[in-house]
Amino acid sequence: MDPKNTDPLMSIKGLRKEFPGTLAINNVSFDIRRNTIHCLIGENGSGKSTMIKILTGAMERTGGEIFFEGMPFQPKTIKEAMARGITALYQELNVVDDLSVEENLTLGRENQRFGMILKHADLSSLIANLKSLDESIKLTDRVGDLSVAQRQVVEIAKAISTDCKMLIMDEPTASLSEEETKRMFKVIRKLKSKGITIIYISHKLSEVFEIGDDVSVLRDGEMIGSRVVAEIRNETSCNSESEACLELVKMMLGKVVLEEYVSSGNERTEKILEARNIGTKKLRDVSFELYKGEILGFYGLVGAGKTEVAQVLYGMDPYTGEILFKDKPMKIKNVAWALRAGITLIPEERRIAGIFGQLSIRANVPIMRMRKVMKNGVINRNKENQLADGFIKNMSLATTSREKVVGFLSGGNQQKVVIAKCLNRESDILLMDEPTRGIDVGAKQEIHDIIRELANKGKGVIVFSSELPEIMQLCDRIVLMYEGSVRTVLKNGGNLDSDRVMALVAGGEVTA
Amino acid sequence: MNAKSIQIDRQKIVLVSIFAMIMVAMSFLSPRFLQVNNFMNIFLQLAPLIIIASAANLLMISGNFDLSIGSVLAFSAIMHAYLSKQGVPIELSIVLSCLMAIVWGVSNGVMVGFLNVNPVIATMGTMYAARGFAYLIARWDGGANISAGLPYDFNVFGRTNIFGFLPIILVFMVAIVLIFIFIENKTVLGRFSFAIGGNRTAAELSGIRVPLVLVALYAIVGLLAGLCGVIQVSRVGSGFPNIAEGMEFDVVVAIVLGGTSMLGGSGSTIGMILGASIVGVAANGLNLLNVPYFYQTLSKGILLLISVFADQAIRRRG
Repeated sequence: MDPKNTDPLMSIKGLRKEFPGTLAINNVSFDIRRNTIHCLIGENGSGKSTMIKILTGAMERTGGEIFFEGMPFQPKTIKEAMARGITALYQELNVVDDLSVEENLTLGRENQRFGMILKHADLSSLIANLKSLDESIKLTDRVGDLSVAQRQVVEIAKAISTDCKMLIMDEPTASLSEEETKRMFKVIRKLKSKGITIIYISHKLSEVFEIGDDVSVLRDGEMIGSRVVAEIRNETSCNSESEACLELVKMMLGKVVLEEYVSSGNERTEKILEARNIGTKKLRDVSFELYKGEILGFYGLVGAGKTEVAQVLYGMDPYTGEILFKDKPMKIKNVAWALRAGITLIPEERRIAGIFGQLSIRANVPIMRMRKVMKNGVINRNKENQLADGFIKNMSLATTSREKVVGFLSGGNQQKVVIAKCLNRESDILLMDEPTRGIDVGAKQEIHDIIRELANKGKGVIVFSSELPEIMQLCDRIVLMYEGSVRTVLKNGGNLDSDRVMALVAGGEVTA
Repeated sequence: MNAKSIQIDRQKIVLVSIFAMIMVAMSFLSPRFLQVNNFMNIFLQLAPLIIIASAANLLMISGNFDLSIGSVLAFSAIMHAYLSKQGVPIELSIVLSCLMAIVWGVSNGVMVGFLNVNPVIATMGTMYAARGFAYLIARWDGGANISAGLPYDFNVFGRTNIFGFLPIILVFMVAIVLIFIFIENKTVLGRFSFAIGGNRTAAELSGIRVPLVLVALYAIVGLLAGLCGVIQVSRVGSGFPNIAEGMEFDVVVAIVLGGTSMLGGSGSTIGMILGASIVGVAANGLNLLNVPYFYQTLSKGILLLISVFADQAIRRRG
């Protein structure tokens, strides 16, 4: 065999990417073999997207080396990377809905002078590419009328027309139905048979075993390991895909250091919320109950449907099924309804959905229930000050003054402002979506204490978190989500261990 | 003190110094400038602008704006003249004309708030529609404008002087400005406007009924445009459908000069008044110096650009 062909197509050695204050990629090394489908997996914040940006020339690395076809590779622009044969298919497609398939394919390639199209580019190779991938797409179709999967194929056809050697696909099946996913896999296999190497990024572990040749796992910006998929399958008892998945989940999550769970000791007697067979685009048959004084946890891998459950309960998504408040059925049509029913959401993205960054702490806190700081229909500054000071003291919010603008506070203190703002609403049920993401350990502990105190005061709290230690330390019961449905509900304490939880969220069977 | 308020203060300082510079320069260049009469004139001219901009400022703080201001003003002016001429009692005609101006505002608010039409497009539609109506009403009356045949007491309202020397529009101006400083600091409407402009998603998730707030803001802008139209037509004593053309842009200039962000979330009534005063004093000065009108337009443009660049520079450093 030609020795050149056994060399890796791409070799990454000691790659680093620093941002001010964070190390997004730390000393990552791995090889990508020629003509393979190489899966790249990892939880949010593991460094996958930074990795793609470096490989496609959208971002420059701060250290390390990359060799592509044996030659050093350091693209400064996306064009430069494309010239070497590396393109990416992003989740947000780059097609123009109002143009036809043909116009989309030739976009940016017209022979032109002074802005006038003289002659369309040579189409034959483009058309051949498209036809070989999907027969059903006609050149005259308007792209906006195609399905998501077909639009992806148009974009792929365009991407591979320029002598593409490596195609990076960022979650191509994220918004596809099962049927479409199967067809997409066919397309991907065809690409492989054309000699193209594919980097495949996905959150669905089962896909790794369906089409992957190799798999690399990133965690916190570090490379945990690269494996040949067939080997993982052989090692774990054959046929059991979930055990093979567990292997990957362990790599993704790492060793889970647990702090001991202390039961709140609250009796589960009064049921305040019950969801029956909730279904949405992403959720199937989700049912659970919440009791007064309880901390209920929702856990699952990225894409398992945690956030979607929170959105349904807060009236942000239409749903099927039934939701009961204190045994009374109620349809939650929008946020105002949820608030009136006594549900408040502490949202995941505090900067985007939580705080009013240009306003002071004092102005932020009362906004969900202004009545509390009003007197004779007018905002009363004294009442506002008292309210803000109370929260600042109780939550040990670190600030020099209540007049400090929230945008200038640290992440942990911003999160405390969001929580204060929501607590001021005085709802019976609190939904907390990733309550401690991106904040330091001390603040995390303080927020956990606040959550426990709320439960002790008789609130029902639901914590949605992708951090297993947080869930296992805090929650009385844990709802495990897997691909949009509830796998099982576990009671915390006793002999519950993290290995069992990981096996379940990886798709393992529920055993007694 | 925190970084934010330092930033705002620095901007106010820039504005006040520009204002002071123009004042000093003008008092040297023209002996007529520093006279009570002249200042009365300046503010008589500025009054409609400041009245409407008070509301439009809050609207822009919420992240929206209104291009139909001038047209709605003209519409109410001509409507008031038409109704009065038809024999409707003057007081009733004033109320009806203002109510119709509110309807224009509500329609803007419904389009932007509930139907999610882009504010530029929605209010531009209203701008043309209301202006068209104004011409149409003049036509119903049988001419290009309504000047003859108005009741003899038609211009009493606009020419009223409080205490015998304060024109009514100045009284309105002071009252409206005070009301808006109050709204800005003391009411839910003010707080919610800042919240919506600062972070619309968070506002919605906090249970603020954003569309309703926007309808209220647009309605108030409509009402004040209508009020100014009624006062103006009454002062002049005849209705022209082409008055206040392009006034919406003068309003935007005053607001942006005053430091309100086009993206919403920050700004103040006081800043807007400073912005409007700079425009007004500069225009008046150039007038006194007999500088042709087109230079005034040019200077307004340059003033706006300078203030925006200064603002950006401050923000970058702050």
